[in-house]
Amino acid sequence: MSKRVIIPLGPQHPALKEPESFTLYLEGERVAASNVTLGYNHRGIEKACEERSYIQCLYLLERVCGICSHSHTTAFITAAEEVAQLEIPKRAKYIRTLIGELERVHSHLLWVGVAAHEIGFDTLFMYSWRDREVVMDILAMLTGNRVQYSINTLGGVRRDVSDSQKEEILKAIDILEERTKYYIDVVTTETTMMGRLKNVGGLTHEIATKLNALGPLARASGVDRDIRRDDPYLVYDEIPFNVITNDGCDVFGRVVVRALELIESYRIIRYVVKNMPDGDLTVKAPRKLPANEATVRYEAPRGEDLHYVRGNGTEKPERVKLRAPTMANLASISYMLDGGYLADVPIVIAAIDPCFSCTDRAISIKQIDSGREGTLEWNNLRTYSIEWYKNHGFDAHKIKLSR
Amino acid sequence: MVLDKVVNWARIKSPWILHYNSGSCNACDIETLAALTPRYDLERFGVLLKAVPRHADVLVCTGAVTKQSRERLKRIYEQMAEPKFVVAVGTCACSGGVFRGCYCIEGGIDAVIPVSAYIPGCAARPEAIIDGVVKLVSSLKK
Amino acid sequence: MSKEENLVAELTQKFPFLSEKFVIVRARRITVEVDRDNVLDVFKYLYSVHKFDFLSTITGLDSVENFEFIYPVSNFEGILLSVKIFAPKTDPVIKSVLEVYKGAIYYERELEDMFGVKVEGLPAGRHYPLPEDWPEGEYPLRKDWKPKNADQPNKVEE
Repeated sequence: MSKRVIIPLGPQHPALKEPESFTLYLEGERVAASNVTLGYNHRGIEKACEERSYIQCLYLLERVCGICSHSHTTAFITAAEEVAQLEIPKRAKYIRTLIGELERVHSHLLWVGVAAHEIGFDTLFMYSWRDREVVMDILAMLTGNRVQYSINTLGGVRRDVSDSQKEEILKAIDILEERTKYYIDVVTTETTMMGRLKNVGGLTHEIATKLNALGPLARASGVDRDIRRDDPYLVYDEIPFNVITNDGCDVFGRVVVRALELIESYRIIRYVVKNMPDGDLTVKAPRKLPANEATVRYEAPRGEDLHYVRGNGTEKPERVKLRAPTMANLASISYMLDGGYLADVPIVIAAIDPCFSCTDRAISIKQIDSGREGTLEWNNLRTYSIEWYKNHGFDAHKIKLSR
Repeated sequence: MVLDKVVNWARIKSPWILHYNSGSCNACDIETLAALTPRYDLERFGVLLKAVPRHADVLVCTGAVTKQSRERLKRIYEQMAEPKFVVAVGTCACSGGVFRGCYCIEGGIDAVIPVSAYIPGCAARPEAIIDGVVKLVSSLKK
Repeated sequence: MSKEENLVAELTQKFPFLSEKFVIVRARRITVEVDRDNVLDVFKYLYSVHKFDFLSTITGLDSVENFEFIYPVSNFEGILLSVKIFAPKTDPVIKSVLEVYKGAIYYERELEDMFGVKVEGLPAGRHYPLPEDWPEGEYPLRKDWKPKNADQPNKVEE
């Protein structure tokens, strides 16, 4: 009878009683069951919004997540504009879309690097983050900052896009597309990558639907859901693009979905740059918003981001509710970990593309039979995972990249 | 003493850092990681990212301190061997930033542990992070 | 008739108590007020017949005498139907929707933590999102609750 081991991957000191994010129950080398707990990053933002004007809320909500800050501010301000029944200029919508897709590019490239790091493919981590600097430069050129772009205001956008900037954007996209195609080639043909990623972290179509998984995670299980197409906002009802799905239902499928979404984003960016209409950047917006409510859904890089705003006739909102995408995917984590190898845990969790702050890398593993409890910190689990796969013939360190 | 000088020299030549997120939005975390990638390349200063507090000289902290992460931050600091230094990266780590006044937020990093260097910015740029770490390391020479 | 109007007509026919409770706000946005005792039957029907299988979140609100709870559910056609239920503050109890929406567990825990409402049928578990040592009886999103460090500098001034 194989022994059950529960290992807490967690805080630095074993004797500490601190909340763990994940508790894994092991049987031999496999995860028999798992538990997810969260709350590390709860900062009290929704309450804080009730004490701030709408513009101040914008500033605060941008800092919910530094990786998809534009998603949060755009969703919020669109909801506020709907409450106020404001129709913003077309040009402003195009600019918001442009920044949104550039954000998707930076986020997916970031993810490629992080996922590569988790499986020991540090060369790809360095290459993809080097390439990511191309889009960071574009964002800094357009908005003045590499992260926290602050392009939105109530009624429109704060900065314009010049013709010379458009040229720069198109040049950058050409470079990025060429490099992305190269990475897709590497990932889909390298046997080591496929050995590491195929049939790992299974999530069936049926379970993904039942547990309301969203974003690339759900699309990699064949769930054909993308807010940009289903519930269009900004100018997505005018832009031709494909929703990428994959029937792999595994980590490999999630890699493919994100990589192909990058290609789609490049198409959308080119369209937006070439078809941007002339016009104003903002409409005049009131300071006090009426007693009205609105719900906006936005397809952030990680999936559906939902914002609900209710006004009450004053300068401050009555209620702001936001549900970031990663939260909705948490219910699926246990399902994907259970039955798999301990060595797969890092990449399965990374493949959800969680905001670091959401998972905070605290995992708990316990040995049921012997009653032994220990803590295994994330970095040690990653090392174990890379070694385990090396022993089984898959060494991601050995993959060569040529450019 | 000779041993101190050698240890100090080693520390100046290659400070080993431990990165900890005590409640940030991740922007400063990704900029800290970006500082290690080819364009900024913090490693040319001998800076290495470590996984275990006992091996680290410098604790690089991001984020305002949430109530939930306070104890953990303290423990990590306590496990580091002397001499140890703390760098607060980003406005939230310096003072609580835009989250100051929110329930569940204790304040900046210095509300819990002593901070040696403050790097403001929202998010702090990789150049600023490198600048801050190098300044800290140079001050060790004195 | 639009998709939204068709849907409203069919649902009103099935559940006469919903008559006059629907508001079509705009394309793809409908709201409906449902009595908390009937809401599970409505959700089961929406899920199985109209394929509203996606519950995005649950928004709780403090509306003076009542608590209000909004359940935005959507289908593949992109229609977002916001189902609203109320519970008086004197009897803050609602039923769990886990039997229909299996992914709702964190949303319901959040309601208990932030508003102090009791969700019947929610399995016991840790707090979410508040820390385990959060004091009993303190519900941050209630309008009459103020944080203890509300007088820190940098608080928004009038």
